Amino acid sequence: MSKTPLPTKDTLEQKWYVIDAEQQRLGRLATEIAMILRGKNKPTYTPHMDTGDFVIVVNAEKVVVTGRKGQQKLYRRHSGRPGGMKTETFDQLQARIPERIIEKAVKGMLPKNALGRKLFTKLKVYKGSEHPHQAQQPEPLTINTIPAGDK
Amino acid sequence: MTRVKRGNVARKRRKKILKLAKGYRGSHSKLFRTANQQVMKALRNAYRDRRKRKRDFRRLWITRINAAARSHGLSYSQLTGKLKKANVGLNRKMLAQLAMIDPPAFAKVVEIANQVE
Repeated sequence: MSKTPLPTKDTLEQKWYVIDAEQQRLGRLATEIAMILRGKNKPTYTPHMDTGDFVIVVNAEKVVVTGRKGQQKLYRRHSGRPGGMKTETFDQLQARIPERIIEKAVKGMLPKNALGRKLFTKLKVYKGSEHPHQAQQPEPLTINTIPAGDK
Repeated sequence: MTRVKRGNVARKRRKKILKLAKGYRGSHSKLFRTANQQVMKALRNAYRDRRKRKRDFRRLWITRINAAARSHGLSYSQLTGKLKKANVGLNRKMLAQLAMIDPPAFAKVVEIANQVE
């Protein structure tokens, strides 16, 4: 009986992708990104190894949420001291630190362990259409999270 | 009835357990009582996980086949449905192996699957 093959570190090639977040739905975009970071889109996927690719997200400030989630979706953080909880809505956080919205959404979809934290370092989020990773020659990747028939 | 002393048997029994507990952390490999508990637990886990291993690998193969099938525009369930209709007898382990080591062969399998209607 032949063994299930295990990819070795040097046979794995890790690509770089650029994703434009403009007008994309936050959650649907984040699932696709998390999938690529984990490598579940490749037949070499191995649960205990980092088989995924790198993802650069540009135009992070233009990501959207549907319905009234702009005013209703809350981002909470706590300083640890009594009464130290701060809340802010999606719109407020988007105006302040737009990168954090996508990072938080993707982080929540990755495994909560050392490997998950390692995978998270492969995600690079930037506002605006520029990114400093030209040297890696990233390929553009289009992800369409806008349902057909919607604007 | 002749008197039987326990010393010899007891030492053998404890040595047997401590031998199984070699490499365990801290007192789990040194003190008989904790070592015994840990060995019992370890053997239980090993028994359970030998069965679980079969399921774990099947899950992994399915994940890999799904990834490969989606790059050909089919989902895993569509592919297996078509393969069944096309009377292709490859199991999940073989398909996963093809997808990973021999992508052209996997493409051929998908082609055969796509011929059935």
